[in-house]
Amino acid sequence: MENQNVDRDVKAAIKKNWRLFKQSKIGITGLIIVIFFGFLAILQPLLFLTNIWDEATYHPVVGYDAEKISRTVVECPDQYPTKEYPTREDCPRVDEVNIRYLKAFGIEAEVGDSYESNVQPAPPSSRHLLGTDSLGRDIFSQIMEGSQVAFLLGLISAIIGVGISTLLGTAAAFYGGKLDTYLMRQSDLVLMLPTLPFLFIISAFAELKVWHLAIVLGTLGGLGGTVITIKSQALQVKVKPFVDSARITGGSKRRIMFSHILPNVAPLALLYMVFSVTGAIASESVLSFLGLLNIDMSWGIMIYLSQTEGFIFTGLKYWWLIIPAGLAVTLLAGGFYLVGRGLDDVFNPRLRRR
Amino acid sequence: MLVYTIKRFFEMVIVFFLFLVISYLLFNAIPGNAFSSLLLNPLLPPEAYQKTIEAFGLDKPLFERVQLYIINFFKGDFGYSYTYYPRTPIDLIAERLPRTLMLFSIVNVVAFYTGFLVGKILAWRRGSKSETWITIGSVFSYTVFYPWFALMMLWFFGYKMDWFPLGKFLVPEKWYDSPYASDEIFYTLILFTTISSFLLFLVFIFTRNIESLQKRRNARLFGLIILASLATMYWTNGEAALKRFYAADIAYHMILPTFTVTLVAFAGTALLTRTTMMEVLKDDYILTARAKGLSQKRIRDRHAARTALLPVVTSFIFTIITIIDGSVLTESIFSWPGMGQLILEAVVQEDIPLAMATFSFIGILALIAHFIADISYAFLDPRIRIKAEN
Amino acid sequence: MSDLLEVKNLSMHYDTLDGNVDAVKDISFSVKSGESFGLVGESGCGKTSVAMTLLQLQPDNSVITEGSIKLDGKELIGLSENDLRQVRWNSISIVFQGAMNAWNPVIKIGEQIREAMREHYPENSKQENIDKINELFKMVGLDETISDRFPHELSGGMKQRAVIALALSCNPKIIIADEPTTALDVVIQDQILNEIKKVQDLLGLSLIYISHDIAVIAEMTDKIAVMYAGSIVEIGPTQAVFESPKHSYTKALLDSTPSIRGEKKKLQSLDGEPPSLINEIIGCSFSPRCPSPSSSCKNQSVEMGLIEVGKDHFADKCCSECV
Repeated sequence: MENQNVDRDVKAAIKKNWRLFKQSKIGITGLIIVIFFGFLAILQPLLFLTNIWDEATYHPVVGYDAEKISRTVVECPDQYPTKEYPTREDCPRVDEVNIRYLKAFGIEAEVGDSYESNVQPAPPSSRHLLGTDSLGRDIFSQIMEGSQVAFLLGLISAIIGVGISTLLGTAAAFYGGKLDTYLMRQSDLVLMLPTLPFLFIISAFAELKVWHLAIVLGTLGGLGGTVITIKSQALQVKVKPFVDSARITGGSKRRIMFSHILPNVAPLALLYMVFSVTGAIASESVLSFLGLLNIDMSWGIMIYLSQTEGFIFTGLKYWWLIIPAGLAVTLLAGGFYLVGRGLDDVFNPRLRRR
Repeated sequence: MLVYTIKRFFEMVIVFFLFLVISYLLFNAIPGNAFSSLLLNPLLPPEAYQKTIEAFGLDKPLFERVQLYIINFFKGDFGYSYTYYPRTPIDLIAERLPRTLMLFSIVNVVAFYTGFLVGKILAWRRGSKSETWITIGSVFSYTVFYPWFALMMLWFFGYKMDWFPLGKFLVPEKWYDSPYASDEIFYTLILFTTISSFLLFLVFIFTRNIESLQKRRNARLFGLIILASLATMYWTNGEAALKRFYAADIAYHMILPTFTVTLVAFAGTALLTRTTMMEVLKDDYILTARAKGLSQKRIRDRHAARTALLPVVTSFIFTIITIIDGSVLTESIFSWPGMGQLILEAVVQEDIPLAMATFSFIGILALIAHFIADISYAFLDPRIRIKAEN
Repeated sequence: MSDLLEVKNLSMHYDTLDGNVDAVKDISFSVKSGESFGLVGESGCGKTSVAMTLLQLQPDNSVITEGSIKLDGKELIGLSENDLRQVRWNSISIVFQGAMNAWNPVIKIGEQIREAMREHYPENSKQENIDKINELFKMVGLDETISDRFPHELSGGMKQRAVIALALSCNPKIIIADEPTTALDVVIQDQILNEIKKVQDLLGLSLIYISHDIAVIAEMTDKIAVMYAGSIVEIGPTQAVFESPKHSYTKALLDSTPSIRGEKKKLQSLDGEPPSLINEIIGCSFSPRCPSPSSSCKNQSVEMGLIEVGKDHFADKCCSECV
């Protein structure tokens, strides 16, 4: 009976909050971005399952596709700039091939001919929507794989982190005393720990997999500053009349903590969870970008590869190697941040306009 | 104020000891005992091996090893670097630390100030079209994936436009026949920056008590002109004139990193300043200030922005670690040979003593930055200052 | 004596999402130099809006539709922000409602006062300004050391006294006191009132005293205007209004205030609430709450407007008919 009531209350609360959230343009924009990437993450296994994509061609790590495209044969000038090519890097263009290059391989051709060959990295085409990388792997499939990694990591670390900080924060507020002092000093310490060098060191001496990293990030986040914020929120709830009345009617400490204080801290915890996803995604990308993570594919690794193979400095010529991955990290991290801002409007009455 | 500072200082010292112990335990807990296995590093001659064992007491129980580590830390003894043998970690850090500090402080002062300025203007011009666009831009730069963005900047300004060098500390060709070591020039540069900012600070302090606003502005302008001409005199005379060419080369290498970090880091400050300042602008004392007939600029700068600064500084204290993380990345992307690059290098080469030493020093850096921000916060907010004194 | 401040047919509304809120409707009054003028009415009747308009400090969403405010013969409406800055504080200054928050928490009291003086007397030396502040502090009964204190170090009463010193710092000709004592306890309230009165006599200032407390107004002012729902319903010499109130709202106000002198009588409370200012009000705005409305008043056929009921004593024509 009581459970049904609680259920109905929860449903009503969710409905009301959703209505408030809907009014936040920022939050909705973020949610659309997050859903888009969630869709990408789910789409890839489906494409493999239904055999629309075959794994040999489209697998993000071991796939290979030698795409033949035809390019115009041109002769690159010795002196730059010329009318057509402002700098040395602009010749040949993506759809052109330098005649000297062909001659070096003993292929006879005339300027103006069209020359058909395997190209890697291949520019976007109908077969490969975002082209292929230097090993002939499909970029779009890699983006989807990276999306899975980002969601997996972001959500696991956020759940762990927020779980820890909610429990500790509530406990610190509820029991006070030595436990409180200890937890606060501990989070001070974690707050002052240089995270990135710390992760460097861990990743250097242990082969870090995605879920290892998720646990480490979650724990660090959970022990750090969030505990302080959750605790202050729990302290505000603790002095509310309904907690007193629960105590007077003989509720046990644990029951009060779990059924009265925790539910009231939950919205704030949710908010922090969303914000910490942003941080986790960025951390993973940074570590993969520096080549310190032991995983096969992620957005960070895509940027790492395009940098180490020198494509970054070709500018926009090989844009599909550089732009999509970086944009994906930016957009998804930004999407979660925007959702967090939207939730902030809902849960933070001080900012609420209506 | 003094009491408060001392109190915070002692708290910091305690946290620092805890940090040392934990960082030692961390290294100790690495699977397969990183110390013993990596001591078999072939780059290390037997006597260095012996010395490292002794220095870290690797044959003693854990408690004694922690004690030894702390003692060694204060002696500045971390054994030998594996990769740079026979140089010691402390030697390497002494070379790299000033470079990091210089870049770190300049970058952050510029980024923080820009962010504060932009946020202030955004709040002041509420509802204008430029506000919307700047806000969207700020959100983008707040969420952009930093290494990627930095690489794009490096490509565009360093490679495509060729306005700035592609990272690094200096152009080796220019230094080929240089009579000066690069560090010597760099120290001159640091000294120059420190002294001129100190003099600038003095000018502002001494002109504070001039009652007439007009006269105060003139006095400050005059002071600035004098400082500028002093600086010109310094760089055109004597030895400094010879050093100028090399100093300019180093300074030139700092522009792009500073610019890039500013573009990314100003946004957080700007967005927060905007929110807090919009709240402050609703306060009654802003109305009082307007009723007093103060100028718009003075209300904005002296009353609204000054109070809005407080929460911004608080959040700055909380994000110092993020900033330090950011400078580690900046250094590795722009190949700036500082502490961040050193620790990355040490980690990749599995150079344990060097990694430990660098990690501890970065930790101290974080602590000191935290401490300074904390004290300056108390200085800005008289309510805290007075509470702490009683 | 000539009129120092002359307000004529002033109307102002706030532009809100729910529609226009007519906060000030066709208000006229004048204040002579050295005179004290009281503005009384219940919360939300537009008193503070009038005060803000006098200083041209009304919020951004307010629109002045018509009327003029002349200070010393100079029109204030339409003046640029820079020209207004010259007028503010050294011609007309204000003691705000809830002066607790009138101080910036991070700047010393003395500096906040000197700041205003610097703006209006740029030639003064620092010592001159400090001397002046000390003199003012003495006048309002404060210690000289207050200058070096931060606002949160002072009690509410001290802050309020300092606000009065602040309002006097640039030798204004007229001071607006907008419910200056609301947040204070009764004893302090009385001291502050005495302080204001003393200072006004001493410096020969004009005073506009705004309050919901008609008893305080009676004590403080020579002339009084009663406001209801954005309009003045009765205006005249304080004594005349108190002795023979003509508007039934004024009567209701007086009946709801205890009097120390005179016979004991039961306090009357007024039922109902003031009308919403968003909807246009036809006829007398007070008629729905009027204890004894006339028939023409009830069917809202009479337009509002003041008519003379005694020497310098005006009341709204609708209600003056009922009497």
